[in-house]
Amino acid sequence: MDHLLHLVHVKILAADLLSLTIQHTSPPAFLRCGRTVARAELVGIVVSRDRREKFLRFVIDDGTGCVPCILWLNHQYLNASTSSGLSESDPTAEIALKMSEEVRLGTLLRVRGKITTYRGAIQITVRDVVVEKDPNSEVLHWLQCVRLAKECYDLPPSSGQDGT
Amino acid sequence: MVSVGPKPGVPVILRELEPSSEMFKQGASLRVTGSLQSFEVDSATAVIQDGSVSLKVDTQHLRDISFRTNSAYQFIGELQIREGNDATLLARIGRNVDGLDLNLYQQAILIRRQHEAKLVSSRTRRA
Repeated sequence: MDHLLHLVHVKILAADLLSLTIQHTSPPAFLRCGRTVARAELVGIVVSRDRREKFLRFVIDDGTGCVPCILWLNHQYLNASTSSGLSESDPTAEIALKMSEEVRLGTLLRVRGKITTYRGAIQITVRDVVVEKDPNSEVLHWLQCVRLAKECYDLPPSSGQDGT
Repeated sequence: MVSVGPKPGVPVILRELEPSSEMFKQGASLRVTGSLQSFEVDSATAVIQDGSVSLKVDTQHLRDISFRTNSAYQFIGELQIREGNDATLLARIGRNVDGLDLNLYQQAILIRRQHEAKLVSSRTRRA
C-alpha cells in the first residue's frame, strides 16, 4: 500500500494536510509519516472566494484548518499549442467554468486535486469540485479521515506493507 | 509553516460555550450548529438552540440565506463577548443544515478532537 499512496486522492483533514512535510525539490514533494502523498480529497465549507479572469481562488474550512484552493480557468491558453486549428469549444474549460460557478460562500464542497505550494504554503490545485447537498456527508468524511489516518497513513511503513 | 487566510471555525456544541470553557474567548473563530428559535429582522439577529442552550448570532454580513424557524443552521464566525458574559457570534458564513444528524455530528466532533490532539502532540514531539 505504501508505494501506492501517491497515486490516489487521500481523504484528509485540513490540519493534517497543512502539516505535511514539504520537501523542497522541483516540483516539491509532500510526506506523511515518511510516505509520499501527491493528491488530496477534502470536504469543507467555502469561506472565501476570489474570481479572476484566469483562475478562481477559494478557501475551504473544515474546522481543523483553512485550505487555499486554486481552480485554473485558462485552459484555452494552456491547450492552445496542442489543439489542432481553431476549436470552438474546449470541454475541459467548460467544465472548469461550470465548477467555478458552483463554488459559492457557505456551500459544502468536496474538493479533489493536486497538492502544490504557493509562496511556501500548501494549497490544492483543483481537479474537480462537487457540491455536497447532504450535510451528513461531511461527518462521514471526518470519520473516514480519522480511520484512514489510524489504519493506513500513520502506520509504520513495514506494517503498512503487511496490511496490503 | 506559513498560515494564510482566515482562522478555521472550530466546531463546538452549544452547551460547551460556557464562560469557564477555553472556547469561550473574545474573537474566537467557531462553527456553531442549532435549530432556529427566532429571527429579528431589524437587527438581523438569529437565535439558535440545541437542547436547552441557545446562542445569539449576528447575521448582518450574510446574504442569500433565508431563515425559517425550527430549521437547522450552521454559522461560522467570531465570538463577541459583552459585559455579563453575554455572547453573540458575529457570523461571516451561514448555511441551512436540515437533515443533519446532530447526535452523530456531535459524536464525530469528539472523535475528531482526539485525532487532532494526537497530531498536535506528535508535532510537539518532533519539534
